[in-house]
Amino acid sequence: MKQSPADKRITERMAPGVLCREGFLGADRRPLAEILDADRSAVVGLGVTHEQLADRLDEVLRKAVAALGTPVEIRPGLMAVFHEGMGRIPCPWGHGIFPKGEVELADERTGETLRFTPLSVHLIGAHGFYQGCGSCYRIDPESLVRIFGLSD
Amino acid sequence: MSFAVVLIAAGLAALLTAVLAGLLVLAERYLVTYGVCRIDVNAGARTIEREGGEPLLAALKAEGIFIPSACGGRGTCAYCKVRIVEGGGPVGPTELPLLTEQEVGDNVRISCQCKVRNDLRIVIPEELFLVREYRGVVERIRDLTHDIKELRIRLIAPQAIEFVPGQYVQLEAPAYGDNPEPVYRAYSISSPPSDDAHVELIVRLVPGGICTTWVFTMLREGDEVAFNGPYGEFRLSEDAAREMVWIAGGSGMAPFWSILRHMKESSIARKCTYFLGAVGRRDLFFVDELKRLADELPWFRFVPALSGQDAGEWDGQRGLITEVVDRNLTGGADTEAYLCGSAGMIDASIKVLRAKGIPEERIYYDKFN
Amino acid sequence: MILAQATTNGGTASLLAILLSAAITDNILLTRFLGMCPFLSISRQLKPAAGMGLAVLFVTTCTAAINSALYWYVLVPIRDSGVPIPAESLSLILFIVVIAAFVQLMEMLIERISMTLYFSLGIFLPLITVNCAILGASLFMINRELKGLDALVFGFGSGLGWMMAILLMAGIRQKLAKARIPAGLEGPGITLIIAGIMALAFIGFSGMIKL
Repeated sequence: MKQSPADKRITERMAPGVLCREGFLGADRRPLAEILDADRSAVVGLGVTHEQLADRLDEVLRKAVAALGTPVEIRPGLMAVFHEGMGRIPCPWGHGIFPKGEVELADERTGETLRFTPLSVHLIGAHGFYQGCGSCYRIDPESLVRIFGLSD
Repeated sequence: MSFAVVLIAAGLAALLTAVLAGLLVLAERYLVTYGVCRIDVNAGARTIEREGGEPLLAALKAEGIFIPSACGGRGTCAYCKVRIVEGGGPVGPTELPLLTEQEVGDNVRISCQCKVRNDLRIVIPEELFLVREYRGVVERIRDLTHDIKELRIRLIAPQAIEFVPGQYVQLEAPAYGDNPEPVYRAYSISSPPSDDAHVELIVRLVPGGICTTWVFTMLREGDEVAFNGPYGEFRLSEDAAREMVWIAGGSGMAPFWSILRHMKESSIARKCTYFLGAVGRRDLFFVDELKRLADELPWFRFVPALSGQDAGEWDGQRGLITEVVDRNLTGGADTEAYLCGSAGMIDASIKVLRAKGIPEERIYYDKFN
Repeated sequence: MILAQATTNGGTASLLAILLSAAITDNILLTRFLGMCPFLSISRQLKPAAGMGLAVLFVTTCTAAINSALYWYVLVPIRDSGVPIPAESLSLILFIVVIAAFVQLMEMLIERISMTLYFSLGIFLPLITVNCAILGASLFMINRELKGLDALVFGFGSGLGWMMAILLMAGIRQKLAKARIPAGLEGPGITLIIAGIMALAFIGFSGMIKL
């Protein structure tokens, strides 16, 4: 499937070593449009929106940042820690620059751990981009719905 | 269709292509040259004359004026902002996402995305005139904690560096592995200016970071490195009478390590309290050195604090650094505050300091982000 | 009513006929449906549409002239002198090469003259190379056996017609920006419908000029 020049440019910026060491696509060989489409149908199927998921993550991010590196309880059984990182990283779509640093979110009930950054929250909320399979910051929409108990 | 005909047809096509290619080469030589352009920097402080056609960032770099850039001119980091007062032309589509409306109104441009096409008048911060490119060799790499290293670099060319304690340099991480081009990352100089043949940097591993991964996995003692600097406005104020409060943790200690040693050497006896925050015992470093200095220097007070639920023995303060500052701040509203760390830590600290009556103008910070 | 008729022995009446037929009655975009891609994408606003139109006009005129010289004064004589080269198919390749070179030249010119236009045209500037209206003009010129000045005027007329069409569309779309359009039709949908209606209108001109 041929990519539009805009998508091609964004995919190039998502490659490893351009904006960050691992890139945003992991081991995923699918074109960007396909990745976005697959996650969009997953999100629609779960009955939520990208913005809802991003808002929840943003709440966690805010609480974790305020705790300055100590673990903070989001709800019983859900702990978040913020690891600060020096520097900034731009959005591959060119929507501005975001602080580095990551949040480690651990669900003690299921043993699941997610990692996300201020940039990945923006990518989910503004672009519906959950990152390629194999990327260290990839979050499956299903995991978010499960962790935040959003399913109806 | 005989072979000869194919040959003739191919020959015609080749001839035409050659003629047109020649035409385009000529056109490029005459059309794409912009002639010699004059760049006036800071109202005549420096005037540069260069053949037009290259990005402003590269033109200035070639003439020895180094505008900070982390991405090496790819248009992603937005560090290389310059005010083009005259001659800038329309703002390009690659610049707009990186500029605020106010900046566009002030003629601030992303210099790596602006081509020099005609005479320009630009304005850059004065201190950039002192920035140089340096080559050095790594004399020593020391592990300070599980994720923080100290680099001691001996300068090769130029052989000495002049800077104000608190300034930073941009270290070049060369192309390696999946990283196709060099990138530049900012690190505060942690050595005092008296040691002008060396530069020490404190580097903390950022997961997935291009530069820090290189430092931690590939850089060895004896390797040559390149960096440019010094940059930055973070430094002690001129007001020698005011008491100071310093707040920093992790690699945020770097500028203060330089400032403190400089103060000791130059006998600048300004009263200051250094609040060093960390999560656990394993995240602390230089604690013994700082305690020693606190004993030695009557004007220096050192308050380390751990915020984690570390069960181990710790006779210092406990709690978030902001809480510790809140409990122990003695200076009152006349104090000056210096902060270095992540945006979250700085914002939270500013709140506490404001609540204590310290006004915004007396809070100086070096935000990582 | 026939406004003009081409005569076989040149003269200004025939040139006018060629110009008007290429621009209006046989409009390369609205009658022949060539060059639709940039027509649909750049026609949102008048200024970039005008810029694109002028660029296409320049390229079409020059390449029609060069291509006609190439065909009638190089390829055909070679073929007529006995060498059995496939003039038509070879001309296809050669025309594309000429058009590509010209677009490069024009890109350099535009970057030099107006950065604003260069930025607003963006990726569509090099895409002019594959604008089928330009190749179409050259090929129609071969079909109708136009040479020399006739070919130049035909190229100019075709480009003019294309520019006219995109300006009309841009004008309409600028007004349309404030209209309420069903969500499914926004963008390319409504543009194609409008293009169809414009084409219908231009059918009214057919037959006025016989070429």
